[in-house]
Amino acid sequence: MSAQVSYNMATKQVRYEALVKALHSDLFRYAYWLCHDKHVAEDLVQETFLRAWRALDSLKDEKAAKSWLITILRRENARRFERKRFEMSEYEEAAITDTQSTSNEQEVENYWLREKIAQMPAEYREPLVLQIIGGFSGEEIAKQLDLNKNTVMTRLFRARNQLKEALENTTKVRGQYNG
Amino acid sequence: MDDLQFRRRIYADPNTRDEDMLDAIKSDPSKQSFAQELEDLDSKLFRALNVEVPSDLSDKLILRQTLASHQQQKRKSRIHLSIAASVAFAMGLTFNFMQFSSAYSTLGDYAIAHVAHEEDYFSNTSTENVSLASLNDKMATFNGSFTSRVGKLLFADFCRFDGMKSLHLVYQGETNTVTVFVVPNNEDLEFSANFTGNKLIGKSQHFTHSNIIVVGDKNEPLQKWQNAIDKSVNWSI
Repeated sequence: MSAQVSYNMATKQVRYEALVKALHSDLFRYAYWLCHDKHVAEDLVQETFLRAWRALDSLKDEKAAKSWLITILRRENARRFERKRFEMSEYEEAAITDTQSTSNEQEVENYWLREKIAQMPAEYREPLVLQIIGGFSGEEIAKQLDLNKNTVMTRLFRARNQLKEALENTTKVRGQYNG
Repeated sequence: MDDLQFRRRIYADPNTRDEDMLDAIKSDPSKQSFAQELEDLDSKLFRALNVEVPSDLSDKLILRQTLASHQQQKRKSRIHLSIAASVAFAMGLTFNFMQFSSAYSTLGDYAIAHVAHEEDYFSNTSTENVSLASLNDKMATFNGSFTSRVGKLLFADFCRFDGMKSLHLVYQGETNTVTVFVVPNNEDLEFSANFTGNKLIGKSQHFTHSNIIVVGDKNEPLQKWQNAIDKSVNWSI
């Protein structure tokens, strides 16, 4: 019996490590866009994976692993607000400042975009992150966020629309500077 | 598909490529370039959203889990150990209880069982004859002695009487052997002055430190034996 137990433990360990390796980046990025803070995001991911470890036996379908983990992470994030009772609706620019070199054109654009994404209302940003980073379909996002699919599609539309316009305006402004 | 609907759908998901969308893109160059624009936007968004992940994060996650499950394991093994200890303790208690507690509740019951069990070892016609000195040698353990012989003593030795060290004497009787036990006082077995079994009967007499029990078959005048013993036995302090 104890051999069986340690065999199961070993299998569980292998499963867990595979999950961590495959999904920690996506989870971290998703957490980052939820809280705009690398340290908080790291804590959230740690808590999420620890809970995932404890409940790993309840994960039957490996394909559902990502959405399962995201559900845990969203719950952890909500818990954070219950615990600390502080408002995060006000986005602080200092928190997102990228210390990377801005000499590169690409980096400049990333920096601009990150600011814009961070400024976007959370209800637009979250489906967008789930779609682009998570690779989820409209239905999956709807299920994840407990919304109907049309609402999700509308929010995705608005999110891209806002960002596209912002980017075009920025380009215009930058273009003027350059010219 | 009208332009508004096309835009809504391509905005919502630039990668959507069902029949309708493909047809719309193919048939209209402006839609095609718009779709391209949105794809470009998405690749920019993808780059922007892909913030740098701390390089040691996955190691940290595995380490933290290993520590957590190690803690859990330790807790579990502590629990296992304490369960094992409890079981061992309970088994010890049970063993002790079974070993040293009597299945018989009275002196008489035990005495009869004891005699019946050893019935075959002793014969009334045995030629053995134990001397008074040898008997008193053994009686000294119980702080007692016999001043005279109460009958022909065929056998005298220590034995365990329900776990207690006692003296087992076998005398020649009328038709069968008469057994006399000298047993230290014991609270576990209830004193019974007279008792009867299937073939055997018995009498007990209580002294300060010991009980003397006489068991014989139903023809035996046990009262006579008891009186003789009572007269002969002498307890030292």
